[in-house]
Amino acid sequence: MIAYADFKIESLAYFSKKMPNHVRWVLQQIKSRIERLNALFRPVMHYNCSAHHEGTNMTEEASNISSDTAAYPWSKNEMFLFRAALAFAMRDYTNGEEFGVSDIHPCDETKRVSFWFVVTRPNTTDLVDKGTVEMAIKKSRNRINGAFLLTDQTLEFDGIYPTLAAPVSPDTPPWLIVFGVVMGAVSVGIIALLAYPLVQRKLKKNKDADDEDSDEETGVKTAEIGANDGIYNSTFSDDERFTQM
Amino acid sequence: MEKDGRPNWDSPMQFVLACVSYAVGLGNVWRFPYLCQLHGGGGFLIPYLIMLLLEGLPLFYMELAIGQKMRLGSIGAWTSISPYLGGLGLASVVTSLYLCLYYNVINAWSFWYLFHSFQSVLPWGVCPINSNRTGPTEECEVATPTQYFFYRETLNISSSIEEHGGIHTGQALCLVLAWAITYLFIVRGVKSTGKVVYFTATFPYLVLFIYLIRGVTLYGAINGLKYMFTPKMAELANPRAWINAATQIFFSLGLGFGSLIAFASYNQYNNNFQNQAIVVSLINSGTSIFASIVTFAIYGFKATLNYEDCLDRMRILLLNTFDLAEDAISMDSVLEWIEKLNTTYPEQFAQIADKVREGECNLEKELDTAVEGTGLAFIVYSEAIKNMPLPQLWSVLYFFMLLLLGIGSMLGNITAIITPLRDFKIMSRFLAGLVCVFCLLLGLGFTTTSGNYWFTIFNDYAATFSLLFIVLIEVIAVSYIYGIKRFEKDIEDMLGHRPNWYWKIMWAVTSPLLLIGLFIFYIISYIQGGTPTYQAWNKELGESVVTEYPVFGQVFIVLLLVSSVSCVPLTALYAFCRKRKERAYENTKIS
Repeated sequence: MIAYADFKIESLAYFSKKMPNHVRWVLQQIKSRIERLNALFRPVMHYNCSAHHEGTNMTEEASNISSDTAAYPWSKNEMFLFRAALAFAMRDYTNGEEFGVSDIHPCDETKRVSFWFVVTRPNTTDLVDKGTVEMAIKKSRNRINGAFLLTDQTLEFDGIYPTLAAPVSPDTPPWLIVFGVVMGAVSVGIIALLAYPLVQRKLKKNKDADDEDSDEETGVKTAEIGANDGIYNSTFSDDERFTQM
Repeated sequence: MEKDGRPNWDSPMQFVLACVSYAVGLGNVWRFPYLCQLHGGGGFLIPYLIMLLLEGLPLFYMELAIGQKMRLGSIGAWTSISPYLGGLGLASVVTSLYLCLYYNVINAWSFWYLFHSFQSVLPWGVCPINSNRTGPTEECEVATPTQYFFYRETLNISSSIEEHGGIHTGQALCLVLAWAITYLFIVRGVKSTGKVVYFTATFPYLVLFIYLIRGVTLYGAINGLKYMFTPKMAELANPRAWINAATQIFFSLGLGFGSLIAFASYNQYNNNFQNQAIVVSLINSGTSIFASIVTFAIYGFKATLNYEDCLDRMRILLLNTFDLAEDAISMDSVLEWIEKLNTTYPEQFAQIADKVREGECNLEKELDTAVEGTGLAFIVYSEAIKNMPLPQLWSVLYFFMLLLLGIGSMLGNITAIITPLRDFKIMSRFLAGLVCVFCLLLGLGFTTTSGNYWFTIFNDYAATFSLLFIVLIEVIAVSYIYGIKRFEKDIEDMLGHRPNWYWKIMWAVTSPLLLIGLFIFYIISYIQGGTPTYQAWNKELGESVVTEYPVFGQVFIVLLLVSSVSCVPLTALYAFCRKRKERAYENTKIS
């Protein structure tokens, strides 16, 4: 409350020039009392957050169609987790500067689970600038999301856009594989249907050729008897080519 | 084989299934539900069924009778009826050729989507990421992922018909596959077609049935079904409803292409086609109604989903703006909260008032977005499918069904071209292959970047007007030139009994009058419609924009119409001149 108290007291002091003396004394007492109180407790640095724009909106959306939109159970413990996660992010980005939970200062919390926060350097009151904090969050975004089991869509940092995962591009697009299979099957079908009558004809020709070979031998014999001159009546012809002795 | 060596169907069942497979096509799935929605839901069934009785059935019967009697393709059959009418058959062949050119492109798209369904995340469900990896590509952000996938990845569409571009290789490959499969199914004529139709006619019903069960159990389907079945009787007074019903019956049955004549020409002479005609027509209409139930269940699901998404977006917007607790606003109370916050915090509310107004959530409005054609099949349906549990399975089933419907119709169209040409005994061995290769090469034009606009020209103009003309001349020719009495006798010859008075009145009086009425209506609407327009995809806005056709586009449309219609008078003139020459020759011979 120091900066705020200072400011307030200064403005009072300005007006107090016109005030009677005993009022100024009262104000001095108040100021010293505050200073003594602050010396007793660890300094809680409470900044006017809107001057340092680092805002977080924590939103729980219904991410699917079903109607039960359970609100995210926010509590002081969850806030502690948030500060710890952010401290981790800062440590990770700055390669070891010992940020602690006490260096993350949220303020202006609303019922919407939405708040501002500022980050200070460890053991000092120097603020870390917005750019650095943004880079740190960007780097460890997945870890912060994971700590809360939320996603980029449900845990939103105002002004920090999620870096989307690179699209996975396989060597052969999957559709081409299915296309190849179907095209292959169709081609085989066409070739089969076209070749089938040709193959049939070839088989028939081979069968005819075989029959002709066996006929030729008997044909020579019957030609000798002179059967080709007239109508060959096969009723009385023997099944065997050679007469039995 | 019959005495004249003409191949036959193995059984009458094959013929019936072939007709069913041909008639039940994509139009049943994507045009009828749209018309139903446009003209007052359940009430549209009344004009639809009346038109089925007045023109659908009689014309279907007539074409089957002609084919079965003449045992020739459309050119030969009409030449037999009267030598001056050969042009009718030729016009049918030309129209079928135009249809074949562009229809297989739809099958190519079905293949494309089918092959892309075999992925863990359906590609039309998510937007691709832009090069900075900060968000989705701009075009995808303005439009929806399903639209982006259709217009950009599937078609790679240009922004107008004048802008040409290269061929989309993926599409070209799918088109080659589509033609290869068509060739595979017709290469042995009716022998191969007859076996294939067992599958292409029956499997779509299985898928439709599965989808019916899946559809009505979807969340929100009941909204769509209620919307469809509450008849708005006032629509019946609108003449457009009756005209659309007549046109739908007409095109749905596939009359005038010559396919029915071709199929029937492979029948046994005494096949009882009367019952078959009734059965096929009723199956066709029944399938339309069945498909529209499924479509409306899916519409209801999609509309409810969009409505609830909209409510949710509003809820988040309110929560973020007014910093309320997470569970303060529930889905049901969003609208009340909007009212409450508007009154209690007017200045803060004014900041987001624009967003609230433009994201106005209205279930009726979602259901009202009636879509037809390729937009319904490839955009609306895929959007619904990606939200179902196990979307890959539903996607595969759905696009496979679309494929079968499309291929079934293609078989009829190709047969309509090949059968009459085969009758002329020119190059009959290679005819099927030649026709397929020819159509494939020309069809590659539809896979270019402006190809979808040319596709739309063909879809809207190639077959609509010319078919009306063809069928009108057909029914007048049969009723008055050939004569109802001769036609009756032919049917008695084939079936053993004469057609009763219902058929004769329809052929002689009602159907011609209806067709003349439709014809005049089409001419008037063409004239009144002004310059024909088309929907051009604008990638900056992420939506389709109505654009006028350029001059060459309009000339092409006129050419398309004239080329098929003019076959009739030109052939009649040609026949007339030949007869005159023959008579003159004979006179010189005698004298």
